[in-house]
Amino acid sequence: MAVDMNAPVLVVDDYQTMVRIIRNLLKQLGFENVDEAADGREALEKMKKTKYGLVISDWNMEPMTGYELLREVRADEILKPTPFIMVTAESKTENVIAAKKAGVNNYIVKPFNAQTLKAKIASVLGDF
Amino acid sequence: MPSPEVANKVRDAITALKGADLKDPRLGEVLNLASQMSEAMQMFFSSLDRSLFDEMRYISSYIQRTRLEISNLRPNDLSEDRIPGAGAELHAVVQHTAEATNLIMAVAEDVMAADTSDPAAYQAFVSDKMMEIFEACTFQDITGQRIKKVVDTLTHIEQRLERFASVMGVEDAELEETLEDKRKRENLLNGPALNGPEVAQDDIDALFGTEGASMDQSDLDALFD
Repeated sequence: MAVDMNAPVLVVDDYQTMVRIIRNLLKQLGFENVDEAADGREALEKMKKTKYGLVISDWNMEPMTGYELLREVRADEILKPTPFIMVTAESKTENVIAAKKAGVNNYIVKPFNAQTLKAKIASVLGDF
Repeated sequence: MPSPEVANKVRDAITALKGADLKDPRLGEVLNLASQMSEAMQMFFSSLDRSLFDEMRYISSYIQRTRLEISNLRPNDLSEDRIPGAGAELHAVVQHTAEATNLIMAVAEDVMAADTSDPAAYQAFVSDKMMEIFEACTFQDITGQRIKKVVDTLTHIEQRLERFASVMGVEDAELEETLEDKRKRENLLNGPALNGPEVAQDDIDALFGTEGASMDQSDLDALFD
């Protein structure tokens, strides 16, 4: 099935610079409809109002972390199927395993490049 | 027993002795025994006085030494000048880094959105924009100097605390977990690793089966080694 490039993508990060970088990379990859949230709580509120085709989230945020957001999403019957990629500097084994167990679709360690982001999105949504 | 009461009892005893038959041998024995007990008590209290005095002198000298060592730590200098100064330097580093990054990204966005129909004008535009990127990169020299000042402050504090702990024979106490610590532990908020990612992207890819073969249990176990 072809990837819906118009489906909104939600970028969740408390660093505006990182949001801007990911937004630009997504734009280069053909995703024009990009929304943003500064932490897990704001993201969850937005997700309850809008159906996103993909969530790209940082881990370390306040007051709700990306890990907490992931668990909330996977525990919600409606939000559950939303593809979720974690993009984070948290690179300990326990973090990767915990995210995997919580149901993350893919995991990118910062710093990353455009090629890595493209490959992980393709692995989750399919080739585009 | 209150002093006046003791004095009254002694007075009564002396009166009783004056009225007693001093030739009675039993009374002589009692007085002899009282004299021996009095000498023993005197020796006990004099030794008690000396050991108490020595103990007090030791405590006093320890307090004086502690005050001197705390003074050598220069706590007021640390709390009023060095630590706030280091915090301000780090804040400036974060601010300058963000400003430079945003400026570089804005320039890159301008270049990507530029009109390419006139090659000469486009080349001039790109050239001007590249100069802006070079200028923005000068933040690195300033942030390097700021970070060096912070490192110097941390080294200064480390050396003084190390000396203090060594001189005073201080050992680390067990601390109760704070709510903040608990949240960090439960949410696995470890922060970035010092020497690059602890688990490489290739290993993570293998775990998610996106590139190459999926991980089996032994590969998974190897991640924990």
